[in-house]
Amino acid sequence: MTTTVDPRPVLEVEGLSLSVPGHDGPVPLLADVGLVVRPGETVGLVGESGSGKSLTIRTALGLTPRRARTAGRVTVDGLDVLSAGRGELRELRRHTAAMVFQDPRASVNGSRTIGAHLVEGLRAGGVDRRQARARAVELLERVGIREPARAMRRHPGEFSGGMLQRVVIAGALSTNPRLLLADEPTTALDVTTQAEVVSLLTSMQAEAGMGMVFVTHDLTLAAAVCDRVVVMYAGRVVEVAAGDELFRSPAHPYTAALLDAHPGLHGPRAALRAVPGRPLALAETPSGCSFRDRCTEADDACAEEVPALRRHGGSDAACLRPGREAWA
Amino acid sequence: MSGTETGPVLQVTGLRKTYGSAVAIDGVDFTLERGGSLGIVGESGSGKTTTARILVGLERATAGQVLLDGEDVTTPSRRDRRRRARSIQMIFQDPYLSFDPRLTVEESIAEPLRLHGHGDRARIRATVATLCDQVGLSTRNAAALPRDLSGGQRQRAAIARALGIEPRVLVLDEAVAALDVSIQAQVLTLLDRIRRDTGVSYVFVSHDLAVVRYATDTVLVMRHGAVVEEGGTEQVLSAPRHPYTQLLLASVPAPGWDPAAVAAANRALAPADRG
Repeated sequence: MTTTVDPRPVLEVEGLSLSVPGHDGPVPLLADVGLVVRPGETVGLVGESGSGKSLTIRTALGLTPRRARTAGRVTVDGLDVLSAGRGELRELRRHTAAMVFQDPRASVNGSRTIGAHLVEGLRAGGVDRRQARARAVELLERVGIREPARAMRRHPGEFSGGMLQRVVIAGALSTNPRLLLADEPTTALDVTTQAEVVSLLTSMQAEAGMGMVFVTHDLTLAAAVCDRVVVMYAGRVVEVAAGDELFRSPAHPYTAALLDAHPGLHGPRAALRAVPGRPLALAETPSGCSFRDRCTEADDACAEEVPALRRHGGSDAACLRPGREAWA
Repeated sequence: MSGTETGPVLQVTGLRKTYGSAVAIDGVDFTLERGGSLGIVGESGSGKTTTARILVGLERATAGQVLLDGEDVTTPSRRDRRRRARSIQMIFQDPYLSFDPRLTVEESIAEPLRLHGHGDRARIRATVATLCDQVGLSTRNAAALPRDLSGGQRQRAAIARALGIEPRVLVLDEAVAALDVSIQAQVLTLLDRIRRDTGVSYVFVSHDLAVVRYATDTVLVMRHGAVVEEGGTEQVLSAPRHPYTQLLLASVPAPGWDPAAVAAANRALAPADRG
């Protein structure tokens, strides 16, 4: 999966901050977010409500909230997204980057056939009508839809959620994008279907050498699927590590807390360690480390300034005392 | 709760529900011990939610029997329904939909107490305060409208409201599925403590095997409307016998997880379901 050479990233987010206007001045939603995705690489973006994970990848498509103010840089395949014009953004969304959302039924018009949906996308990408039909059938076959030619005439309501998500993936991949943004693509699906959709996504991604961002609230899923996992909390990145590394030895107390809060299926049945409080939005966070109010390891130093990401073992962690061995 | 009763609190035999020619569930049997917690695991279309809805009287069974403390409650009359409501309460996935948006949380918690005649105003106020305390809602939370609470706080409020009339059974339908992981753990530990403190019994409907492992003593695995495996939760999850239970377990991501192998196993098990 990770290539030996170090090709130019297909997505690069550097120091991204974003705020929207509120009643009493700007409301910050993201602060200093960084993210690098190279071709052929899968990067997980994990966090709870309000962490800013979805907002971050939407920004990669130029889909920022209305009247949002941004700072920093977002580059997709060489295009500076934050300063791009309408035409460039349209090209970006048509050719360079594609997105798959949580609910496939919200991504496809229920009153039109699957074929019409796919052909329309291909035609918008500049393929002529006959070729578009042939390519759509090919794509349906590739994502594992039986009798693809007949499926073209069927409506979304005739498909199960998992099958419809395959159709959506076929549509997303129809223009051979360089970057695939998957926002909780399996959350609305059944457990056994989740494996099918994940294996389809990863195999197509490897085949095409695309970069993929896999957004999920499920740290275990991200760790199992992704080359690298970026953990976000309250609009900031708190830890970046390889998937298995993160699972084995989390460096940030928040990552560790997420792992401990999830009831495990394997090993002895342990007591759950609930995290006190609730996930915060960036605008509600205290000074210094955003997680310190909920952290069992926090002390006065944590209130002074926002910790920068620092190397610790196999992780980059934004914590003054990273790693379980440092904790009481 | 009613401490004098003995034997299982809930006995379900031969439960069947059809909608026209479609069979939602068929031949569901189980027993829930007093103070016990039973998990019902399955995916969409398994019949787990239909089973739960029949238990609380939201659906009428086509055949079969539900005994609550030995009393047949399968086809209740209007008057019986209120009595059943007192004995079995249900918690839904999205508690926001089950609150009147115009009532404060404490008014909502007080409503079933008034409906079931739990004393005068002062006594109800005191009970509401105790309940809020029990589930960890602050006075400020209690005075707020549902929309001003977070998902986890609303689920606590739903639990407080359900517990007020001291039911013997609480049916929880995907009750923690919509919550953030850190909040889910809070609600699970709360439910655990309440069961130990009050002796209430749970029917815990969930698609999440890890949650079921934590929250239940016994488990039913359902597929296409039928029970395919049942037993002690630890036993079923550590040594599953039915291929479908094995597939469900293999579908849960873990380090070294191979989604392609799971997908292949799924296709092998259900070639007829695809399309």
